[in-house]
Amino acid sequence: MSDAALPSRDYRALTPYLFIAPAVLVMAAGLVYPVIDAIYLSFFNWKIGTPFSTADNVGLSNYARMFTDPDVWESIWVTFRFGFWTISLEMFLGVSLALLLEKPIRGASIFRTIFILPLMVSPVVVGLIWRYLFDARVGWINYYLGIWFGIEPQVWLGDAELAFFAIVFTDIWQWTPFIFIIVIAGLQALPSEVLEASRIDGANWWQQIFLVKLPMISSILLIALLMRLIDVFRALEVMFIMTGGGPGRATELLSLHIYNRAFDAQLLGYASAIAVLLIVIVFVLSLAILVIGNPMKDKADV
Amino acid sequence: MERLFKSVAIALLTIVVTVNFANANPYEKYKGKTIVVSWPALSHFQKAEKLIEEFTKETGINVEVDALQYLKLRDRQILEMSKPRGEYDVVSWVVMWKGEYVSKGLLTPLSQFFTNGALVDPKYDIDDIADAYLQNGGVVGGKKGYMPGKSGALYGVPFGAETSILAYRKDILEKQGIQPPKTYDELRAALKKLNAAGTPALTSRGKTGHQVTAGWLLHLAPLGGKIFDDEWNPVFNNAAGVEAAQIMREIAQTGPKGIPSFGFGEAAAAFLGGGAAMYIDTLKIAAMARDPKLSKVDGKVGYALHPVGSRCGSETGGFAVGIPANSQNKEAAFLFIQYITSKAGDKRMVELGGDPIRMSTYKHFNDKFAEYPVILEQLPCADPDWRPLIPEWNELNIDVLGQALTEVITTDKPIQPIMDAAAKKARAIMEREGYYSWANYRK
Amino acid sequence: MYNRLDNPWRVTAHYLCLVVLAIICLMPIWVMVSTSFKDQVMIFEGKPIWFFFFPTFDNYEFIMGRGRFDRFLWNSVIVASVSTFLTLFLGGLCAYALARSEFKGRKFVANATLLVRMVPPAVLAVPAFAIVVSYGISNDLAVLIFFYTALNLPFAIWLLFGFYKQIPVELEEAAIVDGASPLQVFFRVLLPLMKSGYAVAGIFTFRIAWNEFILALLLTGRRTRTLPVAVSGFLTDTGVEWGRIMAIGTLIVIPPLIFTFFAARQIIAGLTAGSVKG
Repeated sequence: MSDAALPSRDYRALTPYLFIAPAVLVMAAGLVYPVIDAIYLSFFNWKIGTPFSTADNVGLSNYARMFTDPDVWESIWVTFRFGFWTISLEMFLGVSLALLLEKPIRGASIFRTIFILPLMVSPVVVGLIWRYLFDARVGWINYYLGIWFGIEPQVWLGDAELAFFAIVFTDIWQWTPFIFIIVIAGLQALPSEVLEASRIDGANWWQQIFLVKLPMISSILLIALLMRLIDVFRALEVMFIMTGGGPGRATELLSLHIYNRAFDAQLLGYASAIAVLLIVIVFVLSLAILVIGNPMKDKADV
Repeated sequence: MERLFKSVAIALLTIVVTVNFANANPYEKYKGKTIVVSWPALSHFQKAEKLIEEFTKETGINVEVDALQYLKLRDRQILEMSKPRGEYDVVSWVVMWKGEYVSKGLLTPLSQFFTNGALVDPKYDIDDIADAYLQNGGVVGGKKGYMPGKSGALYGVPFGAETSILAYRKDILEKQGIQPPKTYDELRAALKKLNAAGTPALTSRGKTGHQVTAGWLLHLAPLGGKIFDDEWNPVFNNAAGVEAAQIMREIAQTGPKGIPSFGFGEAAAAFLGGGAAMYIDTLKIAAMARDPKLSKVDGKVGYALHPVGSRCGSETGGFAVGIPANSQNKEAAFLFIQYITSKAGDKRMVELGGDPIRMSTYKHFNDKFAEYPVILEQLPCADPDWRPLIPEWNELNIDVLGQALTEVITTDKPIQPIMDAAAKKARAIMEREGYYSWANYRK
Repeated sequence: MYNRLDNPWRVTAHYLCLVVLAIICLMPIWVMVSTSFKDQVMIFEGKPIWFFFFPTFDNYEFIMGRGRFDRFLWNSVIVASVSTFLTLFLGGLCAYALARSEFKGRKFVANATLLVRMVPPAVLAVPAFAIVVSYGISNDLAVLIFFYTALNLPFAIWLLFGFYKQIPVELEEAAIVDGASPLQVFFRVLLPLMKSGYAVAGIFTFRIAWNEFILALLLTGRRTRTLPVAVSGFLTDTGVEWGRIMAIGTLIVIPPLIFTFFAARQIIAGLTAGSVKG
């Protein structure tokens, strides 16, 4: 390359900034500014419908209240319980199905297409469908439980334990295929020489899975796990539609708790304080992902 | 000269005729305008859509309805009303929001229309509107800020207002040999008897939040309970409050399955679908029971007074309509409100399958509908202090009582500690909002 | 692949497993679609009916007519397509610069992009509400488009970054030698090679914008409601209108389903991009 063919040096130095500027500005205004605004609002007692100028600056009292508020802790506890059950069951089901069915097969692409359908359905619609299926009066689940197992009709969404089970079940329906697909992709990308070598060394099916395959896809599993965990903290639409967080706070995940506090109880400032807590949790989880496997770093450093 | 005179005369005549014409029709000035109405997707309001068509045909004022689930109305309305220019010209609120709306300056006082001779129909006769409804839904600023009183001002007109009555299945009660309960003791005995016979007894709301609180409030007033005493101290954890909670628990245990997931729609549907022997809640059930689309029990339903505990006290609730302070079409909005709540409009609502607000309408149809004599007898019992309609009520209603009562009806835990904990939370909210500053100052 | 020497029972069992899983995935969607063609009586019998011969179109007729579905559909189409276009355009430029040039702050932008990707929509709800109330600008589709673009940019940049990295630098260098400006390089040389990358990013962006609910619930009014918000409005107080709800649900699901059937490979590429290094 000759210097003459290139544009002037200043221009070249500025070009990348010109390219990234619009996107960076939009993200700054649409994501970073609201987060900062949430932090700012968390120092106020502001009620919906009144001008912000009339809001009281209450210092840190929203935070003091948050840390002693059993409802907040209950909601965090529900979120962790939800995360534990959904993620462990999805991981278990997704990974075992992937190991069972990893062998390439004719027509696999059709099945894969079907498996990603649940992921593509709008969360609101997922909530509506399962609210209907779990409905105490007209729901199909009660009907089949009655016909097949003679179980009395249950009020799925009106009982704390059953409603929790229902949202876990719904999440598993929607997200197990996700784990299944990325694990299959990971397994099929494994170098065949390694598997061949382990077989020659006399490893049986179980040993191959636990000593060779799973360790080799462990980073995939870890990132999938963290991404699901972040999703759990972001989730609210399915529960919003299915139960609204009830009965009590049995299905009120942290995101939904923030929404309900902000717009039902109308405590915008207090809800912002809880939102800041949520940001911190999600931020820590995201940092973990960045440290474990930053896709941009990997590829950039090649 | 003559021609000039002639044309001037014609011109003058035209002006006079035009002016006369404008005065002849109070709606003329607003013809072609569009007003936007925000109200709930409840049966009464769905029936009113026919009345709206008639209004548009008669007046030339277009009406667009934004119907939402009634508990979602408040978010939407407050958002619209707190903007410099909102979308809504008429809003319909659940009476419990009136204090909040007015304290935040979101509504237009109706006096500014009722003093305008060009707008008010002299035959409107506002005194004909049932007093309990008008005071409860429309007047703000009286005693305690929300009760009838001399300092009150009118912000809304009831539309879809209500009190509570008892509805029962004549066939089921007869079969079990039960008289419609007149007192709470009889009611509890009936619950037991129906349950023993394997019949779901009384339907009720019970969904977490507003719904379960509304269910409990229905029993709190007749048992002599209150949310606050006159100094704003929470007293709902006293004997009456706990007894009302105990009754809610018994209702949930003996009623149709699923009460903890029931909003008003589900609770009513259980009764209308034949899944419960009794119903105590808004009188709206009667018109719904006659609607073949909603009901399978038409003709089998009897009505009686809300059972009496230590006193008679029935619900004051339902909806009122008013005009947002930021509406751009206030006068047309007023004409609309006046039309649907006028004597003719009120009668028309009944013909369409809705509920009336006027005494004259109740009397007019008294022989036609079984529930009207009951309602007329019930109305004097409607308790204007049934629940505190203060701005903080929403938080107490949903966040405090709505949670505590869910625990009451879905667990077997002792009730007193649950209610005590809720009272403590309620006190903290009132403290935060400065309700005790006068009491502290006087000490 | 299985071959002739494999135990036929194993092959059959494998297929059987897949079929069962496929049915589990499809069942709820079929429930929705079939319910949307049932009348109220059929639904309220509470007896599952999988197949039937006399579908009713009443539900669709209602939502298209009195339900003002056309308005909501139009809003959804506008919001999803405009925000997708903006996301791809801005995100593509940004990813290109991050992938191709060394400049001060590059690392910071790359890492920050990944961090803001995770901001939960619930966190945005209150500030977004505060912003629109203060400035009185809600009920404007532009607000929603703006937030969706912001929400989608990080993921789009991340995906496109990976695709740009796969294109050999030599191609661009040759073009620069030929005297092309950076913009010309971008539009004439790179874009044609990036088609599949943009397809993946586009599908994911469109999916989020089309399905998003909570911000739309807060930021839209009577005229600007999108489909997911409109459908939640059918959970009325006079009993849930399951037939109509399922009809809107079916219509909401159609575009994502079409994408799935025509671009399953790209979607899987997008899903696995985060975790599987290929």
